[in-house]
Amino acid sequence: MKRLVALVALLAAPLAGQGYRLKVDNRVQAISYRGLELDSIAVTDTISGPSGGPTTPDGFAVRCPSGAAYCLYFRPGPVRHGAPLVTTADLSVWGFGVSGLSAHVTARGARDLTGDNAWPGSDPAIQLLTGYAEYNRERITVRLGRDLNYNRLGTIGFDGGSITLRDGRRGLDASLYGGWGLARGAALPVTSPVVNPINDFQPSQRQLLLGVSAGWSGSHGDLRGEYLREVDPHTDYFVSERVGFSGELRPVPRWSLAAGADYDLAAGLWGSAEATLGYATPAVTSAVGVRRYRPHFDLWTIWGAFSPVPYNAIQAQVTVKAMPHVEIRGRGERYRFDDAGVSTPLVEVEQSGWRGELGLTATPRPEWTIDAGYTREFGPGAAVAGTSASITYQPSKLYAITAHGAAMDRPLELRFSESVLHLYGIEGRIQPQPGLALELGAERYAEQRQRPDPAAMDWSQWRVTLRAVFSIGSSDDDLRNLPPATHRMPGGRAQR
Amino acid sequence: MIAPAALLALALLQQPVQGFDHLQHKNLFPSCRTCHAGALQNGVSLWPDARSCATCHDGTIQKTVNWQPPPPRRMNLRFDHVIHATKAKDKAPACVTCHARAGEPRMAVREPVVERCLTCHGIQTAHLAAPDTACATCHVPLVRAATLTRDDIARFPAPPSHATPDFLSRAGHGAASRQTMGNSCATCHAREFCYQCHAGSAPPRAIAWLASDLRATAIGARAAPPSHGANFADRHATEAAASTARCSGCHVRADCLECHRPSAGSRGAGYHPDGFLARHPASAYARQASCSDCHNVGSFCTSCHARAGLTAKGVLRAGYHDARSFFLAGHGQAARQGLESCVSCHAERDCLTCHSALGGRRFDPHGPGFDAAKLRRTAFPMCTVCHGASVPTQ
Repeated sequence: MKRLVALVALLAAPLAGQGYRLKVDNRVQAISYRGLELDSIAVTDTISGPSGGPTTPDGFAVRCPSGAAYCLYFRPGPVRHGAPLVTTADLSVWGFGVSGLSAHVTARGARDLTGDNAWPGSDPAIQLLTGYAEYNRERITVRLGRDLNYNRLGTIGFDGGSITLRDGRRGLDASLYGGWGLARGAALPVTSPVVNPINDFQPSQRQLLLGVSAGWSGSHGDLRGEYLREVDPHTDYFVSERVGFSGELRPVPRWSLAAGADYDLAAGLWGSAEATLGYATPAVTSAVGVRRYRPHFDLWTIWGAFSPVPYNAIQAQVTVKAMPHVEIRGRGERYRFDDAGVSTPLVEVEQSGWRGELGLTATPRPEWTIDAGYTREFGPGAAVAGTSASITYQPSKLYAITAHGAAMDRPLELRFSESVLHLYGIEGRIQPQPGLALELGAERYAEQRQRPDPAAMDWSQWRVTLRAVFSIGSSDDDLRNLPPATHRMPGGRAQR
Repeated sequence: MIAPAALLALALLQQPVQGFDHLQHKNLFPSCRTCHAGALQNGVSLWPDARSCATCHDGTIQKTVNWQPPPPRRMNLRFDHVIHATKAKDKAPACVTCHARAGEPRMAVREPVVERCLTCHGIQTAHLAAPDTACATCHVPLVRAATLTRDDIARFPAPPSHATPDFLSRAGHGAASRQTMGNSCATCHAREFCYQCHAGSAPPRAIAWLASDLRATAIGARAAPPSHGANFADRHATEAAASTARCSGCHVRADCLECHRPSAGSRGAGYHPDGFLARHPASAYARQASCSDCHNVGSFCTSCHARAGLTAKGVLRAGYHDARSFFLAGHGQAARQGLESCVSCHAERDCLTCHSALGGRRFDPHGPGFDAAKLRRTAFPMCTVCHGASVPTQ
């Protein structure tokens, strides 16, 4: 008991100044969808369909591999229902008696309330997205725990630590981070069965990761370089080793030139790269640029050995405030894949594609926003053409209601699955009191598939969403008057 | 930028003076200094001793009163009666100059109106439209106005300059703050006010000219640029691409990561536009964005496709790509162009059925840019999946 009293006495002073901010985002969605089921039929049981090809007696087009006794086809599966409940909590705590020391946790819990396991995001039920202790001063930041590092090499997740040094006067900073890596694009280790749901090859140990980043930032430009190496401790070979460079020049007001590239040291290949010239005024914002995209695969998979080819694209986008209450925007991109180096005379696949979008936003009155757009996309494998529109009534920041609709054709090149989809829905948002926001929405996907056989099943479904976001904090900051950026700063910048 | 806090200060000054009716006492007090000696002399109270009222208000001559001097006023004025009375000497205003309207009796006492201050100090504009350099004439910086509460500060009126279309831009309030070295800004604001928006990694230096005062956040700096109207999140891409530096003036990385982060999609947050689920095949095939920056194709794509029956399990079978009669025989180009889409349904062993040196049809999967020697050095275990221990050197 005496020890407890002594401990309380020791902690009393630090705890008196303790602060926290907590945001809990709850979202439950009622969904339904219909998948496919692989089926087969003996070759002798097939009949000749209207187009001359083999079909099942009930009209499903089938594929009969040469020499096989059975033909294969996909028939519509059962309609599946799910009700995923996803709760994400962001917590920042500071005031441990050491100025600049804080702790941050972002965790997510997910569960399919129907028990049907129809929703893929509910496994595992609890995920720690980030969770670290931070010591942050003007010239140094140290973090220990699970963290995500974002740079032009992608999203780098790891359990470990990082240290960042800054010289604010010169605009310089440098970071070193390392630890046990997480799977790319996930808050899970590569050893998790969830990362490999179809049970293929998988590493037995998590990769060890080491990254270095350094940058300079000035009023007329920024430069940054990144290096990342990931090693499989079991085999002592690389999972990846890459470098990346990026920068932006702002030589004159309104104009900027941003560029970047990355190089895969382990595979000896240039990865993705881009250069964008931007121009921004209150009336016009525009960007034109070129880019090259090559997917990156970790070397614990074999995909990199299949030589994925990059594409090169030229793109432009512009937003013009044509009238005081009307904004027009457009964007377009034309791309072409590098030669894949294969000869496939029996299958012709598009090598290039393009995509474009036109849109308009009008605010005839401050509380009304009307948005409309047309999208068209054509490329290898699939295409889309469609229109969309929405109207929002927001008489105050406290509540808003939006109705939206869309129609689109979406032919798929590699499959008989051309379909017409109509989408319409409505959603409302309300903030009944400071620190609480509620959203309710419902939307209907109505689809018609245009197949030459009975497999033209529809994928129509309703989706109903309810979301509640709670924000509470300990400080005397008025949460209503603080933007999210400041919410994430423990104690505010002044207390750093 | 000017000092709107003056309005507050004057509003506070215009509070009723504890019910004392000056006009009714006009014959009793021929001089203001009888009661307000502190207006002319340092170290003396501005207010009379409450007990002096009892000289008459003793319950016999007059009914008793319960007058008390008002508490110290919460204000940010640098006004000092004694200084005005002594330093201005022959220019010193008489009490009535400020406390009574022209033509009214001396004891028709009113709270002074700000226009009197402006007139005497040669400021020929409306109060809130006064030039930036004028603020400090009458006002102390916020950090020195220690008696003001957060509620007082929250009621500061915004001057008209703050409503101009470009005020939120660098050319608007940014230029104004640089020109005045933040002096006029400091009348109403302190550093914390600016940090509500300038949360980025390199806040403007002008902010450092301001002192620190947590009360400054009582004024909410939430006014977003005109472009940030409803549904802006759905259409911010062009603006972000055109000038990321502009975004970083107000936004920190965490703002972007609210949506642009791993597995954000499973939260249903607003990264993708409405209906994207229906059109994602096209975007995924053609790699409009780097899907794998945010989504793990195994845990996100494949697990969902598996539930929809869209994953290949075991021996590779025909059937799905039914729009191309010989797709399996000629899928090479499609695979190399859209490998990320392939692996959202197919496992490695599907491909190894044919593409392995250890068995199957022994088709060579290596294509343009493949550096066998380099990969042998850096990722030998990967090579052994297909080649076993006999990994070629070239």
